[in-house]
Amino acid sequence: MPYFGSEETVKELKRALSNPNVQADRLRYKNYITKVIRYMTQGLDVSALFMDMVKASAKVDIVQKKLVYLYMCTYASDKPDLALLAINTFRKDCADPNPMVRGLALRNMCNFRMPGMTEYIEQPIVAGLRDKASYVRRVAVLGCAKMHSLQPNTEIDGIIVNELYALLRDPDPVVVVNCLRALEEILKDEGGVVINKPIAHHLLNRMKDLDSWAQSEVLTFLLRYHPRSDDELFDVLSLLHAFLQSAHAHVAVATLRLFLHLASAHPAVQADALLCTSAPLLATCGAASRELRFTGLCHVQQVMRSQPGLFGTHYKCFFCGYSEPTYIKFRKMEILVELVNDENVALVLEELRSYCTDVSPELAQAAIAAIGRIARTYSEKCLDILTGLLALKQDHITSAVIQTFRDLVWFCPQSTAAVCQTVEACVDSPQDSEGKQTLLWLLGEHGEQISSAPYVMEGYIDGLKTELSSAVKMELLTTAVKTFLCRPAETQDMLGRLLHYCIEEESDVCVRDRALLYYRLLQRGVEETRKVVTGPKSDPSMSVLTGRQEEPISQWASTFNTLGLLSGRDLCLQTAVISAADQPSNSTGKELLPDVTLSSPNDTEEEISLSLGPPLSHETFEKMWLDLEILHRQTLGSPRPRTAPDTLQAALQLVKIQTLAFTPGDTVLWKAYIYTRSTGTLILAELLQGDPQAPGSDESLVVSVKQQPVNQHAIRGFASILKSVLQTLNVDSS
Amino acid sequence: MAASAIFILDLKGKVLICRNYMGNVNINEIDNFMPIMMKREEDADLSPVVIHGSTHFLWIKHSNLYLVAITKKNTNAALVYSFLYKLVEVFTEYFKSLEEESIRDNFVTVYELMDEVMDFGFPQTTDSKILLEYITQRGHKLEVGAPRPPATVTNAVSWRSEGIKYRKNEVFMDVIESVNLLVSATGSVLRSEILGCIKLKVVLSGMPELRLGLNDKVLFEITGREKSKSVELEDVKFHQCVRLSRFENDRTISFIPPDGESELMSYRLNTTVKPLIWIESVIEKFSHSRVEIKVKARSQFKSRSTANNVSILVPVPSDADSPKFKTTTGQAKWVPEKSAVEWNIKSFPGGKEFMMRAHFGLPSVESDVLEAKRPITVKFEIPYFTVSGIQVRYLKIIAKSGYQALPWVRYITQSGDYQLRTN
Repeated sequence: MPYFGSEETVKELKRALSNPNVQADRLRYKNYITKVIRYMTQGLDVSALFMDMVKASAKVDIVQKKLVYLYMCTYASDKPDLALLAINTFRKDCADPNPMVRGLALRNMCNFRMPGMTEYIEQPIVAGLRDKASYVRRVAVLGCAKMHSLQPNTEIDGIIVNELYALLRDPDPVVVVNCLRALEEILKDEGGVVINKPIAHHLLNRMKDLDSWAQSEVLTFLLRYHPRSDDELFDVLSLLHAFLQSAHAHVAVATLRLFLHLASAHPAVQADALLCTSAPLLATCGAASRELRFTGLCHVQQVMRSQPGLFGTHYKCFFCGYSEPTYIKFRKMEILVELVNDENVALVLEELRSYCTDVSPELAQAAIAAIGRIARTYSEKCLDILTGLLALKQDHITSAVIQTFRDLVWFCPQSTAAVCQTVEACVDSPQDSEGKQTLLWLLGEHGEQISSAPYVMEGYIDGLKTELSSAVKMELLTTAVKTFLCRPAETQDMLGRLLHYCIEEESDVCVRDRALLYYRLLQRGVEETRKVVTGPKSDPSMSVLTGRQEEPISQWASTFNTLGLLSGRDLCLQTAVISAADQPSNSTGKELLPDVTLSSPNDTEEEISLSLGPPLSHETFEKMWLDLEILHRQTLGSPRPRTAPDTLQAALQLVKIQTLAFTPGDTVLWKAYIYTRSTGTLILAELLQGDPQAPGSDESLVVSVKQQPVNQHAIRGFASILKSVLQTLNVDSS
Repeated sequence: MAASAIFILDLKGKVLICRNYMGNVNINEIDNFMPIMMKREEDADLSPVVIHGSTHFLWIKHSNLYLVAITKKNTNAALVYSFLYKLVEVFTEYFKSLEEESIRDNFVTVYELMDEVMDFGFPQTTDSKILLEYITQRGHKLEVGAPRPPATVTNAVSWRSEGIKYRKNEVFMDVIESVNLLVSATGSVLRSEILGCIKLKVVLSGMPELRLGLNDKVLFEITGREKSKSVELEDVKFHQCVRLSRFENDRTISFIPPDGESELMSYRLNTTVKPLIWIESVIEKFSHSRVEIKVKARSQFKSRSTANNVSILVPVPSDADSPKFKTTTGQAKWVPEKSAVEWNIKSFPGGKEFMMRAHFGLPSVESDVLEAKRPITVKFEIPYFTVSGIQVRYLKIIAKSGYQALPWVRYITQSGDYQLRTN
């Protein structure tokens, strides 16, 4: 019972450890030490025993030594003064004739994470680097990195760095790789270890001696080396070719990454390398361990971005097994969708069809969505399947099918007639709010083709009182107005009832506002309403017709074989935050800008597009704000919008301006900080009302803009977008 | 790769063992792991990477343990997972089975091992054979000669120590092929693949050189023996001891073997072979009253081979009761915890057909829970037989001291992931 009476336990142990009788009996002594470690593992604070444990370290039993060392490393940072007492034992052990003991002592000494350690460990480390036992050298080399991490801001010790570079020629392969690792850590701020031609070729020749971990890492280090000529390049590649089919998935993938990187100017070589690796990748996708299988699938997915045909014939490898976890099944389905071609479409669809009735609703819905994606090319077959699924009358399936229909109609307008027919025949209506909204959208958008549309809608209007979701109510309003526009005779009465209810009795403000909006719009006339309410009925970009484009390999090669690939987009953002916070002046931000940009909805004199990009932390913003000069100051000519803060934030988000902070409510000196990105520049701005220094600003907002790097064009664009948003908001709220 | 720390947790997320290798993460970060996992599990959104702030948890689950690596770098994920599995392998080698109990009982050795396999977040010595040479579960006294790092830690041949001696020199070679099969409910084969591997148990003195000859199609084409029966191997992978350059040049498999047991090579064959054991099943469910199951198993290999220990697992509804069986051979029994009927046939000769009928009662009140359609799984092994037809033509042992050594070769085919979906 470690948590109860822990003081008692510690006292008891202390008594036992200092008992000379126990100390004399080696076995009993060791048992007590084991007990201490066991309590430590269980989370009990046994740091009070430090003195007794230091004494125990002088004993000869090597396992006991290891335990005591482990204990000391854990508590050294809490008891730095006592830890210093142990140093002598360590230094003595560092000179032990047994290399095992030397290595052990050195390793643990370097693991003491407390200030002031450096002066004690430097000498043993330097001695260890020249030790004749490779076991000690391995430890010493990494010790250099540990020493540096203890005092990261001190100047880099040139002698040690040179020594490490020299040890790259060590006969022991692990020492070689440890040198690379240590140099990488030590020279982190200078861009890591330098791989020049002799080093690169030396490493390439040693590759086959290394274990798989080391191979994988050396391959990553070699990414830094650029062969001078094509001849050299091909020499390098031919040396590495065998590793493309390594037994270890991580080595094969690391080799592929290096190939893609080195041969960026030779697409044929890249394609060849991809072909070579396709077998090991497929094998990884069938690996016994699910995590590796998942990794394999992620890599396959990435390769397919450039070479969609590569795995076409192996589509059966991506059929889901019964016991696989859902995250693997999801990936497999995504891949299957991409792999579909004329030959395999029937089998793939049959397979996906069997997933649709899976017990897990998430999986079933994903399978239905997957069929929907395939339907964009093979609509007829898929629509048959989807229609068949409706007959099952399962709520989650019906809802998912309807949602799939919506996407299909949007992306693939030629299937509209068939979909409308099915929806018409579908008696069962979805029960969840997402499904309801979708069905309503379909009814509103294609009301003229679904003869029963007004009656289905009427059912919803009659059940309005029991409807909980305000999103459904809003969708219902829109649908009713749209249907009214195409079939006024049947709908007029129910639209009236709906508007009346929503305006008079509805408690949700948003729904009420929406109803009022439509009511006033209709007052302006039908034509006016039509102009506002109807939008495009299908994806205007017609992406389906052009198909998915094959991306160049360079687009993804940089993230290949990294963690980012597995966790998808989230991680990219994560790392972006870190890098932005670390080095605000760096231009890495440019690459990290997401590709989704939205051009401003208002006409500005020049085209300018803003984007949100990765979020900035408050600290980063503050730091940058203090560092930068104000580049532009302008009165916006409109007062602060009297809307709710959320509305303001949402409106700004719509035009891709992020709100960082603003003063609450009706403070006299109202301020807001916002930021956005545009074509490689970051724009920071402050909105201020009631600034006494700015002339004539008692009512109107003043914006001050800072930017990095400077781009006047972007600032003008930003100001005009901001201006129009604020004006729109003011008009709405007044 | 730089894993900042490695944790071993029990199923509730309590830390059993933790090793902070780099010291750049707070050890308490692990407390965030379990809550995130639980939330994810609820949302059915589990993934092998869990992110909390700038900390990434990469985890695997083994029996009742979680092995979690924490990293702050954008590392090579495949490497981290491979390392965690390697860790499992090493522990299993030491403690026979890796589970909460064995970790608790052997925590001293666990700490010792974790100290050796990784330093400052970088993998060091992970070969369990080498580790076994200098970390034993018995304590060592310095006077009686504490373990020294084995020569292998410094050797040019890193997988074999020098100075090994045996009285009787022998090599045992197992050619094992496992068949993965997936058959759809309509009876069409969706996937069929053969995973082969050659395992060695080497009891040889000194530094012998071995050469292995297979009926490899490519080799036969080079040497002009195209008429003989040969096998086209795909995706061949070797143990690091095999000289890859020689294999590339003239397809010779030559190597200095590791001592003891090891896996020499593995290969994959994607050829569509006739499923070795074919199952036809009819599962009729009469709601509220009974389930009737009829299973026909047919062996589709030559009659001179025999499949042993065939076990056919047929799913039944979880609320079924009062079983009745009738079989033409073997024994059928109900396994309620798996909700399945297990039909065991000790010996199943080739070219035969057997039947099993089962009858279950169903409760009159039906549960609302939708039941998953589980597949029928089959387990078997066929000795003295390989599906691919691979053969060891010779295994030459060349020892400098010139001793005589005997090679022994065994063949076996077994079921891998062998599933047939049901309606």
